[in-house]
Amino acid sequence: MGEKGHNVTADYDLARDAASGQEAAFETLVRRYQGAVRGLTRRLAARPVEADDLAQAAFLTAWRKIGTYRGGSFKAWLCTIAYREFLQARRKQKIEVEFDEGAHVIAFDVSATRMADHMDVDRALKTLPENQRICVVLCVAAGLSHAEASGATGFPLGTVKSHVNRGVAALRKQLAADHVA
Amino acid sequence: MEHEERYDDLTALFEAQDDALQSDAFVARVMAPIEKKSRWRTPLLFGAAGIGIGAAVSQIGGLWDVLKARTPALDVSFDTVQSAQVNVDLQSVWVAAAVVIILSCAAIVVSERA
Repeated sequence: MGEKGHNVTADYDLARDAASGQEAAFETLVRRYQGAVRGLTRRLAARPVEADDLAQAAFLTAWRKIGTYRGGSFKAWLCTIAYREFLQARRKQKIEVEFDEGAHVIAFDVSATRMADHMDVDRALKTLPENQRICVVLCVAAGLSHAEASGATGFPLGTVKSHVNRGVAALRKQLAADHVA
Repeated sequence: MEHEERYDDLTALFEAQDDALQSDAFVARVMAPIEKKSRWRTPLLFGAAGIGIGAAVSQIGGLWDVLKARTPALDVSFDTVQSAQVNVDLQSVWVAAAVVIILSCAAIVVSERA
């Protein structure tokens, strides 16, 4: 399970150690944030295998650029890199950003009830327009601030807020409908 | 963090998904190419540094004389070495030293960017 409650200072120290070449420090960061980055790429990419390739590429880019990390939320820094890897891959390979429900294997070690919730939220996420989904994934799932998401996507701040608000409302409506049904 | 509105209900669902994605295999997959690169990095850097130190030491004037005075038994060997060095143009020594320094710096830069 992910480490909860770790503070920004600890991340900063690990990043500084990693920048000086300490692989063990970077491995700790990979272990700490692999869930967030893999989750992000799985919600953006079409297939889990492709998503893990993107997540790996994001971590390797982070390792190369770790010296440029200047503090703040390490998770947001990483997720921004992962989002850019996704955009780059999509440009290169002209990935069709449509979700293949059959290929979306979820390796969740949770109860059946939680599994149903996960499938509901995944399915609901897929119904959102792409820009809404991107903003919801970055702000709600990855925990970026609106300003950070604006910086990562290039969308104006107001647009990000609007996408998030509409996306969240649509997700809640969809989930509520699923539970009633 | 800027969160005028909280999405705790949805965030909790996403975080539970993320937590379930923890995998040692994925960590190993990420770290493998990093560790592979660092296997040659250390020997390369220390090798380059060793060559640099050797080149620097070789430029210290009078070192041979000091060593000769303290180790007369090795005179023959040092004389041989010195006689061999007499034929080396001083300029070419500096060029060689410069090449070593440039190669060392290039090795460090390349390995740091890798």
